[in-house]
This record gives sequence, structure tokens and C-alpha cells, in this order.
Amino acid sequence: MKKSSPTFILSYCVFLIVVGITGCSEKSAEETRPPLKSPAYLEEATPEPVVVSEKTRETYQWYCAQCHGIQGKGDGINAKFLTVPPRNHTKAKYLETRTDKQFFEAIKFGGLSVGRAPCMPAWGNTMSDSTIHELVRYIRELCQCEAL
Amino acid sequence: MKNFLYLLMGGWLLCNPMLSHASLIQEKKCSECHRLSKDENEKSGPDLFYAGNKFQASWLKQYLQNPMTIRIAGGTGDPGFLKGIQANSQKHPALSKKDAGQVTKELMALMLLELPEEVDLLEPLTKGQKAKIKYEFERTFSCISCHQSLNLAGKVRGGISGPSLVNAGNRLQASWVASWLKSPRTFSSKSRMPIYKMEDEARLRLTQFIATLKNENKR
Repeated sequence: MKKSSPTFILSYCVFLIVVGITGCSEKSAEETRPPLKSPAYLEEATPEPVVVSEKTRETYQWYCAQCHGIQGKGDGINAKFLTVPPRNHTKAKYLETRTDKQFFEAIKFGGLSVGRAPCMPAWGNTMSDSTIHELVRYIRELCQCEAL
Repeated sequence: MKNFLYLLMGGWLLCNPMLSHASLIQEKKCSECHRLSKDENEKSGPDLFYAGNKFQASWLKQYLQNPMTIRIAGGTGDPGFLKGIQANSQKHPALSKKDAGQVTKELMALMLLELPEEVDLLEPLTKGQKAKIKYEFERTFSCISCHQSLNLAGKVRGGISGPSLVNAGNRLQASWVASWLKSPRTFSSKSRMPIYKMEDEARLRLTQFIATLKNENKR
């Protein structure tokens, strides 16, 4: 049987060490993994502090108040005709258990998208993402509550 | 010669049907509450500059003789709209049968040259199809939140901020309904209704469903 040459054995050991260091450590795996990309609307969800403009307050009155009421108390002119009462935006107890992301998605994609009432339509083709972010902030103003 | 020209012009004015209709609309002062041209500023009543695209002539003639409430909460521009108080609560004036016929002719001549969507004759829906589309109407697109309609048992259901659709099958033309769903801003720069980007088939289904909503189906 032919014996392996010392040069070959040495090279093999070096190869194993290199693979052991670079290939198996968690750190290097993370470095080589492509970064996870979240959708654009989520990336925009955590930038500068959102300021609620006068225009967005008017947007709430124009669209949202039909069901949620002028003061956001869930008593709009449609409220008593809906199978599920519109959310009272002044009640912190429930709203502080919901994240800003959940608010955003409920407005943009509709109530069903977040497992809530289908009475709430999707407003994503009517309002820009930045207006929806401001509306989320406005609801936080109304409920005097915060969440992630 | 000058007198002859005046006589000729006067004769033409009297004989021109469009102008004689226009004078009745002017006489009835329709433009005080309704826009008869897109260039006018917003007014309290519904826009009529596309009345010929939107309404069914038979319904319009009936309505003008016997006006009924379509927007239960009033016009969306009313100051008291969100409070449930109709600022413009005066009833639409009723016209005689003859005047209603003439005003209908005049209004049906007010049309946009091109509609965003043309719908051919709609096929009747089976009860099963109607039930499926009603699900979309209520749950996928949430129309029921703002519009009254009829459930499968013929009972009135739904919100009041938008115009009632209970008799929409007699009131509206199918092509207009589909066009409004496709491109509402063609008709109104500001509406309280969400804009939907729905597929053509879904739009046709909703149009078909709305066409089934008629007073005679109300129980």
C-alpha cells in the first residue's frame, strides 16, 4: 500500500483548519448570508419621528370619521349599521396591545389583513404610505397610548 | 335685410331642441345645486355633467316627478354630514310629467365622450353566484360599510355615508358603475370612497351584483 506524502498530509490539515475557522463559525455564516430585506413600507416604518400634519388630520375627518367618528370615538354615522362596531380610537386599553405595524397594515390592506373586521376597507390605493404613517401617529395621539 | 336675419336666427333658436331643453333646465335652476359642467366649482347636489352616462332614463324621469332620498346622510360636502345633520335638507322639487320628460332628455344628453369601461348586456346571476359576489361586496371590498344594499332575503343592510344602492339596478347604468369602480377620479376629484385596484373580473362581478339591487326585490 502506498503511503501518503508528508506534504499532502500537511496540506490536508491546513485545509481542514481553514474550513473549520471560516466555514463553521456562526459569525462568518451571518456575514456571508444576504441581509434579510423587509418590504419598503416596513423600512419606512421606523425612520424619523412622524409629525402629524394638518392635512392628515383632515384626511382622518374626510375618510375615517365616516365610521370612527369626528373625535375617533367609534361613533361615526355608519357605526350603528355595521356588523362589527368601528374601533374607538380614544380607548388605550386595546390599542396599546397593537403595534404601529399592525395599525399600518390594517389601514393599508384593510381589517381582514390583520385578522380584524372586514368592515374596514383597504386604503392603500387612496392614501400614500407616508399619510398612513401619520394616521397611525394620529391614532396614538387620540388614544394617548404607545406600543412598538 | 337685417330684420330678415333676426327672424331667421330667432326661428333657429326656437327650433333647436338642445337650446329649448337648456332653457328649461335654466328655468328650473338646476345649476344652482348641480354641476352641469366639469369646469364649475363643487356644488351641494350630485354632479350632472355625466348624467347621460350615469342614470337610466326611465328612473330619472320617475325621480324628477317623485324625488326620493338616495343619500340618507346628505351630501358628503355638507357641513353637518359627519354629525348626521343634513344642512341641505330641502327636498328636491317635483316636476310635472311633461317637464320631467323634457329635463330627462336634456340631462341624458350630458355625457362624457369616453367612459373608462364599457359593459355589455349583463347576464342574470344565479342565487349561488349572487351569494358569492355578495361576500366580496361585503367582506373583500367592504362596500356594505358605507352603502345600503339588499341581502339575499331582500332586507336592507349597510351604512349610510355613501349613496344607497338599494335601487341601484334601476337607477344606474352598468357601464357607469364599472367605470366608477375603475376610475372614480374621472368623475369626481374628491370622494369619500376608497380607490380600488381590482381585477377586471372582480369589477364585472360587482357591477353585475349591483345591477340586481332593485326596489322590487326589497322585502
